[in-house]
Amino acid sequence: MMELIRLTKAYKGVPAVRDVSLVVQEDEYLTLLGPSGSGKTTLLRLLSGLEKPDAGQIHLNGEDVTYRPPYLRGLGIVQQNYALFPHLSVEDNVAFGLRYRLIDPVTDDSEVKRRVAETLELVGLTGFGGRMVGQISGGQKQRVSLARTLVTRPKICLLDEPLGALDANLRERMTVELRKIRATLGVTFLHVTGNETEALAMGDRMVVLDKGGIVQADRPDAIFSAPSDVRVARFVNTYNVLTGSGQDSVFRTADQLVSLPEEAHGREVGFYAIRQDSVEIDAAGTVPEPGRTSLQATYITSEFLGSRFIYIFRLPDGGVFEVERHLSHSDPVTYKGGETCSLSWNLADALVFDPSGAALETNAFKGAA
Amino acid sequence: MDGAAVETPIASSVPSRDGPGFFQRHGHLLLLAPGVIWMILFLVIPLAMMVYVSFWTQTTFAIKPDLTLKSWTTFFASETYFGALLRTLRIWLTVLFLTFLFGYPTALYIGQFVRNKTVQTILLVACVIPFWTSFLIRVLAWRPMLGKEGAINILLQGLGIIDQPIEVLLFTELSVIIGMVQIYVVFMVGPIAFMLARIDDSLFEAARDLGASPMTIFRKITFPLSLPGVVVGAIFVSVMVLGEFATASALSGRKVNLLGNIIVTQVGSLKWAFAAVIGVVLTVVMASVITVLLRVVNLRREL
Repeated sequence: MMELIRLTKAYKGVPAVRDVSLVVQEDEYLTLLGPSGSGKTTLLRLLSGLEKPDAGQIHLNGEDVTYRPPYLRGLGIVQQNYALFPHLSVEDNVAFGLRYRLIDPVTDDSEVKRRVAETLELVGLTGFGGRMVGQISGGQKQRVSLARTLVTRPKICLLDEPLGALDANLRERMTVELRKIRATLGVTFLHVTGNETEALAMGDRMVVLDKGGIVQADRPDAIFSAPSDVRVARFVNTYNVLTGSGQDSVFRTADQLVSLPEEAHGREVGFYAIRQDSVEIDAAGTVPEPGRTSLQATYITSEFLGSRFIYIFRLPDGGVFEVERHLSHSDPVTYKGGETCSLSWNLADALVFDPSGAALETNAFKGAA
Repeated sequence: MDGAAVETPIASSVPSRDGPGFFQRHGHLLLLAPGVIWMILFLVIPLAMMVYVSFWTQTTFAIKPDLTLKSWTTFFASETYFGALLRTLRIWLTVLFLTFLFGYPTALYIGQFVRNKTVQTILLVACVIPFWTSFLIRVLAWRPMLGKEGAINILLQGLGIIDQPIEVLLFTELSVIIGMVQIYVVFMVGPIAFMLARIDDSLFEAARDLGASPMTIFRKITFPLSLPGVVVGAIFVSVMVLGEFATASALSGRKVNLLGNIIVTQVGSLKWAFAAVIGVVLTVVMASVITVLLRVVNLRREL
């Protein structure tokens, strides 16, 4: 178990990580989601010991390791660019940690060979041991890098955007494999990513970072259905976020009025979010049924994504509003560019946030909780 | 583009216009020609001439193109000349070792410990400042340093460390080695520093994270990855030291004769054939040295 206590780090006065407290459990897959510049790589480097924090502590199984050098921490980091040793073969790369670590190196060569072969098999690279690093593909390099870390049996394995440089196909396969490999070894994975789908799909638990601080930490489904902050709603990329202000029972945005859920009546509201797949598209001027509310918008274009369509609308203030339609639910409809439509949704599906961005308790939250 | 598309049907009926033109077919040969001609004129022919002339018959005042092995047998039979070959090899190895010994730490400092690119460049430029003055002046400047009443002896006597001036400092093999190391160490520093600066920091981080101590990282990562730089530096130093004659004659008082010095005296007394023999020997030695060095590292893969 690793405990981060109020960790803070700044580069030349610019804070990169501020006041981060988090407990990393044994045997869990934890994903860290944040946009670029949110401090996720810095946080990983602090944990691994490659950087020293300005303030705060890191405890590993109850021991303070904040200022311990990386080679004495027993953590493993898989770097974004793989950082394979170009002058060594795949086998020697993987064996590096076992042979040359300061603490408890494995001197028996046959034992090294056995463990390396075992780990290469785990990552699906049996038979690649003799190749040089320059002779393997990007996806294979990624696995070698993972194997090189896993073979040393780290207490926690830190992965810095491990799938970032892979193409979509490979990325999907590795998503499944990483989870499988982790489950086999029972090692905690701390996976940093800027991709919301990856974070949602892979983590047992997920932490959302913004501007160096933790915004929300929870199960992915909880974060997805009940973002605690409007920033989280934006990161997960499935919400339309409207900016405006609440006036008693209505919310004014882009010179239009939409109804607020009952719980938010009379409260201060700054943001209004609705999931892209809970919105219906009707002809312009359609009056919404009771319990629903609507918004007029201009249709721009649609995007076909295989199993679903994304319809893109423009609001009068220039903002973009997206509606997602699964083809398993409804057949695609063709709209004319420039056509005005009425977009409506159930009030119960709406999420509201106060002007500072914090979520206000509504039915949607209760449903998720 | 449009014009070409319109012309296609006509062009297909006229084969000569359809196929690639003369320049397109033979363009690569044309581009190759200047380099090849240059190499033949200034490398292949002179080398062949040198080998050919080394078999000519030499008399006191003339040289005749009658083939003979006489110059070759003289070279290998003579204590003086064959000894010069051994001395050249010995001095070359000593200088090579010393330039590495002084050059590697310097390069390590510039390439790895200095993180600022501007400072790196400034330090590398500082290394070549001695080159702003002529080669001969740099060599001769060692005389007032190493002489019997030179700077080093005056300083050591003044500090009371020695009573008598150290005489071996100048006009010995030692002074030749000191001079050469100072002049050529830069050629070792440059390529190594360049190679070291190119190593991605993430490799060191990965090695640290895998539990390796700083010493192990140097032995297993830093040094092997800088090896191409060491080989390039060694080739520079070797080629220059093996052909040296000026430093040896200026700092040894003509007592230390390298192969280069012998070529100079032989040419001076118009013994072309014998000079050619030594030239061939030197060329063979250099070629073998470079071959061996290139065996150490596959430069084509590394650079």
